[in-house]
Amino acid sequence: MDPEAAKTARESLDLAFHMSNILDTGLDRHMLSVLIALCDLGLNPEALAAVVKELGREDSCSPPTPTAPSSAP
Amino acid sequence: MEEEDQQKILDLVKELVHRLLSQNPSSKAPNSNPNHNPNAPDFQNALRYAIRILSSRLTPSIAPDAAAIAESIKRRLATQGKSSQALTFADLFNKFALKTGPGSINNKWAVLYLLKIISEDRKTANNGPNSVALLPNLALNDPDLKNDSRVLHNLTRGDRGWDNGVLLVAKDPENLREIAFKEYVNLVREENEVSEEVLVRDVLYACQGIDGKYVKFDANVDGYALLDTVKVPRATRLIVRKLCELGWLFRKVKGYISESMDRFPAEDVGTVGQAFCAALQDELSEYYKLLAVLEAQAMNPIPLVSETASSGNYLSLRRLSVWFAEPMVKMRLMAVLVDKCRVLRGGAMAGAIHLHAQHGDPLVHEFMRSLLQRVCSPLFEMVRSWVLEGELEDIFAEFFVVGQPVKAESLWREGYRLHAGMLPSFISQSLAQRILRTGKSINFLRVCCDDRGWADTATEAATAAGTTTRRGSLGYGETDALETLVVEAAKRIDKHLLDVMYTRFKFKEHCLAIKQYLLLGQGDFVQYLMDIVGPELSEPANTISSFKLAGLLESAIRSSNAQYDDCDILDRLRVKMMPHGTGDRGWDVFSLEYDARVPLDTVFTESVMGRYLRIFNFLWKLRRVEHVLIGAWKMMKPNCITSRSFTKLQGAVKLQLLSTLRRCQVLWNEMNHFVTNLQYYIMFEVLEVSWSNFSNEMEVAKDLDDLLAAHEQYLHSIVEKSLLGERSQPLYKSLFVLFDLILRFRSHADRLYEGIHELQARTMASSLPSQDKNKSRRQTSDKSSEPGSWISDGRKALTQRAGEFLRNMGQELDAIAKEYTTLLEGFLSQLPVQQHVDLKFLLFRLDFTKFYSQVNPIK
Repeated sequence: MDPEAAKTARESLDLAFHMSNILDTGLDRHMLSVLIALCDLGLNPEALAAVVKELGREDSCSPPTPTAPSSAP
Repeated sequence: MEEEDQQKILDLVKELVHRLLSQNPSSKAPNSNPNHNPNAPDFQNALRYAIRILSSRLTPSIAPDAAAIAESIKRRLATQGKSSQALTFADLFNKFALKTGPGSINNKWAVLYLLKIISEDRKTANNGPNSVALLPNLALNDPDLKNDSRVLHNLTRGDRGWDNGVLLVAKDPENLREIAFKEYVNLVREENEVSEEVLVRDVLYACQGIDGKYVKFDANVDGYALLDTVKVPRATRLIVRKLCELGWLFRKVKGYISESMDRFPAEDVGTVGQAFCAALQDELSEYYKLLAVLEAQAMNPIPLVSETASSGNYLSLRRLSVWFAEPMVKMRLMAVLVDKCRVLRGGAMAGAIHLHAQHGDPLVHEFMRSLLQRVCSPLFEMVRSWVLEGELEDIFAEFFVVGQPVKAESLWREGYRLHAGMLPSFISQSLAQRILRTGKSINFLRVCCDDRGWADTATEAATAAGTTTRRGSLGYGETDALETLVVEAAKRIDKHLLDVMYTRFKFKEHCLAIKQYLLLGQGDFVQYLMDIVGPELSEPANTISSFKLAGLLESAIRSSNAQYDDCDILDRLRVKMMPHGTGDRGWDVFSLEYDARVPLDTVFTESVMGRYLRIFNFLWKLRRVEHVLIGAWKMMKPNCITSRSFTKLQGAVKLQLLSTLRRCQVLWNEMNHFVTNLQYYIMFEVLEVSWSNFSNEMEVAKDLDDLLAAHEQYLHSIVEKSLLGERSQPLYKSLFVLFDLILRFRSHADRLYEGIHELQARTMASSLPSQDKNKSRRQTSDKSSEPGSWISDGRKALTQRAGEFLRNMGQELDAIAKEYTTLLEGFLSQLPVQQHVDLKFLLFRLDFTKFYSQVNPIK
């Protein structure tokens, strides 16, 4: 990545982080960057949000028993 | 590239899961150390789960509009009261959105949406930890579901109330809709054996009169219909039937056109019919154009409901019915007209179509107007050529002016007439009469008068009316223009005709001449004629030679003022001997004749001349009677009879003589009075008055018809008033009896005076210087009609003879007188009773002193 692109990326991330703070999403910078990358690759944001939500509640529940075979996207 | 992306995604997801797991504040998992162990079962499970979630939904349920999402976030912030934060967010978003180029985020909306959902989730999670935010489209309010481990897991986690379950329904409408449409399409396909496109094409064929595969002409229902064997829903069947009405109408119209075309060589269809067919053909070609366009459209497949329906050019039955609305109206009109006009032709056809054109709908009105213009153009052309040139080009007998070949003299009266059946209703009767008269005048001028000057008047008329003399300058709807043209042409042609009649053919002069000669207006001529011809006419009719009479006529003309008349007029005057029987005298068969040649014999036809002849006869008789009486008067001159010569007669004889003479004179006086007044009445009250009326009429006559009518009126009044009419027969008869009586009187008077003259002569002879005895002897010789017997008789015999003679004569005179009086009274009594003719002037003259009415009171 050339410095310009890197700069843009960094600034975008900053802005997104600010926005996420305003919205009180509880995401840290690193997480946000991963999520943004996933979004950019075309994944459904709803699905991602669901993942975040579900896995973020792992604290209050035991991990689920593996049932359905996972299908790679 | 795909593989790369997939690997990247997997890595990122692993990373995410790891972070999330390590993020957990109170992680009960044994591997809660930050170093993630990718092989830990928890991690694997979580990973698997994450992947499952991510792959379950592939399309977002909202529109990828970053600005809209930002707006909704801002609104949410604002409604929550965090307006400053909203502003800040707005600012940030603006900056964020501006970031483009390499290194920037492409799916900004995804990011924003993500943030939004995560924040919402956190809120709901914070707000109600008991309410489980269920995964959309996986969680159901059904505790019985066992195949979903997550649900089961939630159940076994404890008693969680499902009552506050927020169910986010999947926004996946396509699936349901699509399923429904697919079902419908299957239904449609089941019901219809034949697809709609095929039907549409068949209907289009039917509308051109051709049987299609499924839509055929059914003679039972007299129309195009779907075959019963084809399985289609009833609605389709109905609509096909309705649309095919157009086909039925088309068939009818086309049938008529081809029929007419076939009949044309047989000269059964006239020009108007042809024009009608041509107009119909034009309309049909417009119709064909429409059908061609529709056929092109019908090639496009009809999209069924499930496919994206573009409103572009496909043709369904319903669309077809909309397209056919206007052609249906027009075709119906044409079919109605075709029905009407099947048996009509010429002007009648134009009239019938015109009646149909009286319609309020502007579409119909416009259509009919253009049709009528075509149809009526041959008619108008015929009118134009007839009115301006007198030409009747009518092979098919369509015009309302009918001509027939007649002789030149009846050209005016019978050569042309109106045929009411062919008169179209938009031409009024008076206009038609004018048209007839104008053309008739032109023909009359051309044929009878040999006149060419009317051609100029025709062009003048055309320019005055604003049209030209070329073809096709008039059309339907311009009835006013036609009327002006006809009126102008009529005015000019009539004037020209009258000019020609008056100046070139000297109509007035001829009329006057007829009056002078045939109606005995030229008194001196008549007098001479009578003087000369009189003795001839006393002979029996078959011994009189007309040549001699002609010669006498000539001399009569020359000796009177008639010699100064135009020689053309005198040429035409002739003697005519009427057909006579054996007992007729010349007086009964003599008449004068006036030869009126073309074109005057239009006015003076045979029948008219016959009437003139009758009047002439009457007037001639009257004149004869007058002549007779004048002759008697000449004889009765009192100077011839001097009473001096009768002094030698006996007193009785003298008295008788005197009384006889007196009676004779009295009778003569009466008769003369009667005849003179009758003559005067006829001459002045009847002839002159009628003539002056006729002259006035001639002045104001505008055309030949007027002239003919005026002349007719003139003759009629003369005939009626001179008691020659039908209803005056009894009067006429009694008049003639009177005339006969007067003639008898004349002969008696002649005899009487002859006798008296003889007596006088004898007395004169006897007073010659010879012996008195001789004289007296001669004086007594009688005055019998035998001239030789008195010489020998003596005076006594003379007296006796004279007395006897006079007595006889007196008796006869008395008889005559009595008869005369009775007849005259009879005649006079009939006069006031006459209803149809006003004879009060005659009565007035005859009975001026009321002598007759006093003697015999007239009841």
